[in-house]
Amino acid sequence: MVDTKTKDKEVIKKLETLGQTLVQQINKGDNPTMELPVRSLGNIFFDQKTRTIKLGDKTSERQFLNIAHTRKFMQTTLVANEIKKVIQQNATVSIRDLYYALKHTIEGTQENTFEDQAESDPLIEDIEASLNLLREELHLAASAKGIIAGDMVVQDGKDVIDLAKMGSGGWSVPSNVEEDRIEIKKMKADYVLFIEKDAVWRRFNEDKFWEKQNCIIITGRGQAARGERRFVQRLSREHKLPVYALMDADPWGMYIYSVIKQGSISLSYSEEKLATPDTKYIGLTVGDVEKFKIPKEVTIKLNQLDIKRLDELKSYEWFKRKEWQNEFNLMKEKNIKMELEALSKKGIRFITEEYLPKKIKNEDFLP
Amino acid sequence: MSHAPQTEKHEKEENVTAQDLAKEFREHSVAEFFKKNKQMLGLSGKTKALTTIIHEYVTNSLDACENANILPDIEVQIKELADEHYEVTSTDNGPGLTQQTVGKAFGQLLAGTKFHRLMQMRGQQGIGAAGCTMLSQMTTGKEVKIITGNAKEVFSCDVSIDTKYNQPKVSNVQPLTKKFKGTAVKAQFKEMKYVNNEQGPLEYLRRTAIGNPHAKITFTDPAGQTIVFERTAKKIPEKPEEVQPHPKGVTVDELLNMAKSTPSRKTNSFLKTELDRMGDTALKEIQEKVSFDLNKDPHQLSWQEIEELIKAFKGVNFIAPRTDVLRPIGEEQVDKSLRSIVEPEFLSVVTRKPSVREGGFPFQVETAVAYGGKAGRRVGEEMRMEIMRFANRVPLLFDTGGCGITEAIKTVDWKRYGIKDAETAPVTVFVNLISVHIPYTGAGKQAVSNDEDIVEEIRLALMDAGRRTARYIIGKEREKLKQEKKRIYMKYAVEVAIALGELIEKEPKPIEHKLLDIVAKRLKIDEQQEKALEAESDADLEKELARLNKQEKETKAGKGKKKAAEDDNGGDE
Repeated sequence: MVDTKTKDKEVIKKLETLGQTLVQQINKGDNPTMELPVRSLGNIFFDQKTRTIKLGDKTSERQFLNIAHTRKFMQTTLVANEIKKVIQQNATVSIRDLYYALKHTIEGTQENTFEDQAESDPLIEDIEASLNLLREELHLAASAKGIIAGDMVVQDGKDVIDLAKMGSGGWSVPSNVEEDRIEIKKMKADYVLFIEKDAVWRRFNEDKFWEKQNCIIITGRGQAARGERRFVQRLSREHKLPVYALMDADPWGMYIYSVIKQGSISLSYSEEKLATPDTKYIGLTVGDVEKFKIPKEVTIKLNQLDIKRLDELKSYEWFKRKEWQNEFNLMKEKNIKMELEALSKKGIRFITEEYLPKKIKNEDFLP
Repeated sequence: MSHAPQTEKHEKEENVTAQDLAKEFREHSVAEFFKKNKQMLGLSGKTKALTTIIHEYVTNSLDACENANILPDIEVQIKELADEHYEVTSTDNGPGLTQQTVGKAFGQLLAGTKFHRLMQMRGQQGIGAAGCTMLSQMTTGKEVKIITGNAKEVFSCDVSIDTKYNQPKVSNVQPLTKKFKGTAVKAQFKEMKYVNNEQGPLEYLRRTAIGNPHAKITFTDPAGQTIVFERTAKKIPEKPEEVQPHPKGVTVDELLNMAKSTPSRKTNSFLKTELDRMGDTALKEIQEKVSFDLNKDPHQLSWQEIEELIKAFKGVNFIAPRTDVLRPIGEEQVDKSLRSIVEPEFLSVVTRKPSVREGGFPFQVETAVAYGGKAGRRVGEEMRMEIMRFANRVPLLFDTGGCGITEAIKTVDWKRYGIKDAETAPVTVFVNLISVHIPYTGAGKQAVSNDEDIVEEIRLALMDAGRRTARYIIGKEREKLKQEKKRIYMKYAVEVAIALGELIEKEPKPIEHKLLDIVAKRLKIDEQQEKALEAESDADLEKELARLNKQEKETKAGKGKKKAAEDDNGGDE
C-alpha cells in the first residue's frame, strides 16, 4: 500500500467514523441514521463578512428504515466506502469514474446500485458537506472544462507552462488547482476577463485581446466548474487582479456571474474556497442597448422560462443591490435579452476594440 | 236516510251496466291495442322482445311455485330455427294447470291481473304469458304448445287467442301417460335477435338467479351451451302481505273508487276498515274538520267531500304505515348467491331497515358491493362497474340511465372507499328495491323514479357497504406495502452491510444479520400501529387510504431514480 499523507489519514479517519457511528447504531438495534446538512435554497445565507453564499445549520436525517430514504442510504454508504478505497490507493478519479466503480447489480435482483451519475453526484456533495471536506481532499475531480490564456506562467507538477504560448486552443484548467498542484510562477496581467461562452473566448484569443489589453482571458464554457472558479479566486487573492465578467444579458448569464462571485446553492458549504467576491459585471446589460446604440433587431424577446428565472434572481439576497434590481426591472420592462454575439452586428471587432475598453475606462460595471 | 236503499239500488244497476260496457270495450280493444303498441309493452326492439318473453314465462313460474310452496326449478331453452326466428321452451316444476285454467293463463290478455294492489309483487313487465302467445301468433301464425301436469292429470294442448274478443282458444288437448308435474310452454317467434350482452336473456336469467337464490335456473342458449345457476337457499320466501292504503298516501281518485265499491254503509266504518292506521280518535278529529256527517253512505260521497276528507287527513297524526309486510331476500341469501354467481374477491352486503316514502308506501333496500375477482363487467378489453338493479327481485335491464337506483349509485363518492375510477373498477353493485308500490318511471317498468327517500336509503346502504370494502382494500394495501417494504429493506441491507464492513474493516455478515433483525422489528411495530388506528369514519378511511397511497408512491420513488437535485450544479459536472 502506498504511504498516505497526513491529510489523507485525517480524511480516512472521518469516513471511518461515519461508518462506525452507523454500525454502533445497528448493533444497538436502532434505525441507522445519518445527519446531513440541508443543501437547498431554504438553508443557505449570504454572509456579509466573506461576501459569499454559506450553508446554514439546518440538517436532515437519512434513515435506513424510511422507505423513501433506504436506497439513498445504501448508496451513501457505498460512496463513502469507495472514496476511502480511492484515497488508500493514492489515486485521483473523476466523479464519473466513481459512479462506474460503484455501479453493480444488486444480488438476486435486476436492479443496479446506481442507475446514472445523477444519483451518485449529490451523495458526494452530501459527504463533502457533512464531513466538511473539499472535493480535492476526497481525491475526486470534476471533468476539466475551462480554458485560459494570457501572459502568465504556471508549474503543473514537473511541467512549466507559458499561458501566452498555448496557440488557438488555450490551456485547459485542471480540476485541482490547489497550491500544491499548480504554482503560479510569473504573472504580468492587469486584470482577468471571465467570458461566459467558448465561441466568444475563441474570438478574443484569435484577436490576441489578452496581449493588447494585458489581461487573462478565461471561460467556463457555460456554468463555471470548480477548477476555473478556484483558479480565478487565487488570481484575485494572490495577485490582487480585478476580475470582470462578460456574460449574455439574460438571467442565465447573470446567474453564472453570481456563481463566480459569491457561489452556488449546492456547493454552498465550500464557497469560501471557490467564490471571488470582488468580481465585477462588465456586461452585457439591457442598458447597453441604448448606450451603444445596438440595433433593436438583434435583441430577443424574453420567454416564459426567462421571466420565471428573472423573478427568482430578483428574490436572491445577493442580487438585492439597487443596481441589479434596476437592471432586472429594465429587462422586464423592455422584455428583451441579448447574446454576446449580437454585438457583431456593430462590426466584428466592436466588442474588443470599442465596447470593452470603453466600459473598463469608464468603470461602467454592475456590482 | 230513508231514501238510501232506493238510491243504492238505482246506482248499482247503473254501475253494473257501465262496468260491463267498460269491460267489453276493454277486452275487445285490448288485442287491437296490443298490435299497435308493442313498444309500450316491452316488446319492441329485437333483443328486448326476447328478454321480455323470457321474463314473462320465468316470473309466472316463480310465482306459481312460491304459491304452491315448491322450490322453483326452471329450465329455459332458446333454439334458433332460422335467422331472427326462435323457439323458446320454458319448463317449471310448479303445481301445473288444469284444462279450465290453461286457456286463461296463456290465452287471455290481462286475465288475473290485479291493478293497484298494495303488495310486494314481481309484477308483469310486458303483458304476461298471454302476450307472448299473442306475439307468437302475430309473428309466426302459430299457437303455443303447452304440456302441463297437476296432481290429477297430465296433458298437452295448443293455445291461441281470439284477438277480436280476447278469448283463449284451446285445441288439440291430448292426455299424456308420462309422469310430469309442472308446466312447459313451447312457442315460436320471429323478428327477434338473440344477443349475449348486458340486456340479453342469459344476463336476465343470471340476475334472476341472484335475486331468487331459492330457485335453480338452467339455460340452454342457441349455440347449445347449457348454463346452470344452482340454488343457494333452500327456503321459499314467505308470502308478502297486502296492505291497505295509508291515509296520507291515498289520492282523491283512489278513495272515490274505493268508496263506490265498499260493502260498508257508513263513511266512518268504510274509512276505518279500508284505510291503514285509521282509528276512532282520528275519525273524531276528521269529523271536526269536514262539513258533512261521517255516518253518510260512502257510495254517495261526492268528489268535493272526498277532497275534504283528504285535506282533513293531512292534519291528523297517523301512525306510520306497517313495514313488516315486506319480504327482503335476506343478507345471508344475497351473500351466498352473489358469491356463487359473481365470484368476487370481497363482498359486503348491506340491508337497510324498512322505511316509508312519501305517500305512505313502505319500502326497503338491499344492497351489495362486490369487489375484485370476477366482479365488474368486461366490455372488450375494458373493465366496467356492473350495476345490477332489481325491483321486488326482478332484474331491471333497460333504461339504466334514467333510473333512480343508477342515480343513487353514481352519486356515491366511491373514491373515498378506495375505488378509484369507479366507472371502470372491477366492482359489481347490487341493489334490490322492494316495496308494496314501486314507483316506475314508465309503462315498461324498467326504471325506478328518482324518489328522494329511495335514493337516500340506497346511498346510505351503499356507503356502508363502501366503508366495509374500503376496510378490506386498506387491509390488502397494508399487506402489499409491508411485503414491498420488506423486500426493499432486505435487498439493500446486504449492500449496506458490505459497504460498512469494508469501511470499518469488520466482517459484513454480523452487520447484515443485525440489520435484518432491525427490519423485522420495525415491520412488527408498523403492523401494531396500523392495528391501533382502525379506521371507522369516512374521514378516517380517506386519510388512511391517502396515507397508504403516499407510502406506495414513496416506495416506488425510493427504489427508482431520484429526481433532479437543485436548479444549479455549481459548476459541478
